[in-house]
Amino acid sequence: MEHRKTKLIISVILIMTASCNEPETVVTNIVHADGSVTRRIEMRSTENKFDISSLQVPLDSTWIIKDSLEINASDDTVWVKRAEKMFAGVGEINMAYRSDSGANKDISRHAEFRKKFKWFNNEYTFSEIIDKKMKYGYPVREYLNAEELKWFYSPSNVNEEKKNGPDSLEFRSFSDTVEKKLEKWYIKNIVSEWIGEFASLTGEKVNNEMTQKSLKLRENEFVNIVEKNLEHFDTLWQNGTLLREFIGEANAVKYKNEADSAANMATDRFWVSFKPYTVRAIMPGKLTGTNGLIDSAGLLLWPVNSDFFLTEQYKMQAESKIPNIWAWIVSGLFLVFVSTGILKKMRPSQK
Amino acid sequence: MMKTTEESDRYKKILELMRSSRPDLARPEEIVNEVIKRIQHGNRPTDRISDFIGSLFGWIYIGWVRNSLVAAAAVMVSLFIYQQALILKQVNNISRQQVMTGIEPIPGSMTGFDNKLTIYKFSNKLSPSGDIKISEKQLEMILESYDNLRSKYKNLIRIIEEDPELKRYIEGKLDANKKYKPDI
Repeated sequence: MEHRKTKLIISVILIMTASCNEPETVVTNIVHADGSVTRRIEMRSTENKFDISSLQVPLDSTWIIKDSLEINASDDTVWVKRAEKMFAGVGEINMAYRSDSGANKDISRHAEFRKKFKWFNNEYTFSEIIDKKMKYGYPVREYLNAEELKWFYSPSNVNEEKKNGPDSLEFRSFSDTVEKKLEKWYIKNIVSEWIGEFASLTGEKVNNEMTQKSLKLRENEFVNIVEKNLEHFDTLWQNGTLLREFIGEANAVKYKNEADSAANMATDRFWVSFKPYTVRAIMPGKLTGTNGLIDSAGLLLWPVNSDFFLTEQYKMQAESKIPNIWAWIVSGLFLVFVSTGILKKMRPSQK
Repeated sequence: MMKTTEESDRYKKILELMRSSRPDLARPEEIVNEVIKRIQHGNRPTDRISDFIGSLFGWIYIGWVRNSLVAAAAVMVSLFIYQQALILKQVNNISRQQVMTGIEPIPGSMTGFDNKLTIYKFSNKLSPSGDIKISEKQLEMILESYDNLRSKYKNLIRIIEEDPELKRYIEGKLDANKKYKPDI
């Protein structure tokens, strides 16, 4: 009973955080061999409210848009907006990203397409890239091992399903481990960002103890102070206690403004204004490589969350190949020609 | 050059000798016809093809051309084998990749929720865009109840793990719960 209650409360909290009225959005890029991309967007919402300002990806009147009302698996009515547009190349997609006025307009995103001629095959690479937010952060791979990284980059509901399925205890304990490590990563990133910004704001007017290098050497010490005082961080920061511990009494008074500005910059970058969505891709020819997930329909999939591009560029990449039939034929004929010649040359000498 | 002139002179002499000593032919028309027939026979397509093939494969008698073409063919075969093996390896890697079945992914990071909530204590802002604003007191209440919940949850997990019978019972119940879907 207690367990059920716990699950229920957790679910309520999770639902509270997950549903901020933004539609659940899936963007599908159908990449063509000539570099053009058919982009499809599917947005699902419990309300018929699809304001441009609340959309995760650029969408305007030039798209072919269809609205419908559907019943989902839980028998709830869902408003679905489907939009499609053909882009002549990634340049057009990037232009749309640059002029985006939606919910994720503050995020720098772009797409890349590359075609390589390799005689027997043509190689195609398509990527959607989101630039990192924090300037001085640490890559998450320094904190998580391969298995934990897989968990980190998996869609949240896939992980939730594992936590509630068979071996649930094992998965929950694993999830707790990942979360603890991530907590450390978050704190370290904020401290590192603060040091970086503080050093750049104070510039050269500081003494030797306050240079970026010397502050960086004490980074772990700062992290420990923050972890120790996490419960009352806000109050301790406001009254200057933490800053005094970091840089000493005199410096704390002298550089209070710079320290506050640096803290604001660090938290602004940490609290990315971003609404998550999912990216899918369909590549031309045979799929040969990807860093994404593969769903039951064989489509590539990447969940997009703010944590993924907090300290590193988030690159969703897929590679595929199409055989050049004409090159195969030409090569075959050439081989027949050369081997016939060689046989012809060998025959008289055999006589 | 000298040799060619000598041969030419000898040829002319033989020709003159043959002209001067003509044989006595009974039916010269037949010979004419035979000559014409042989000339026609010489221009047949099969001979032209063999001539063409002969000239096409003329390179086999030129060492450096022959070696270059053999080398080019070897490079082509190697390239083909390498490319196809690489593709096969990549495709195998992809097919080994975990396929998500039966779950429609919902965007949104919920696993890092508690971490972020903890980190939230760093800042007065819940959302930089200013969409959601709650008072500090409300936030403290959420954090407090969340921490409470977390510690109770951890205790519960610990109790379950320490008691194998209870663990089996809970897992059995969870399995049964999964199989039974109420019509709500």
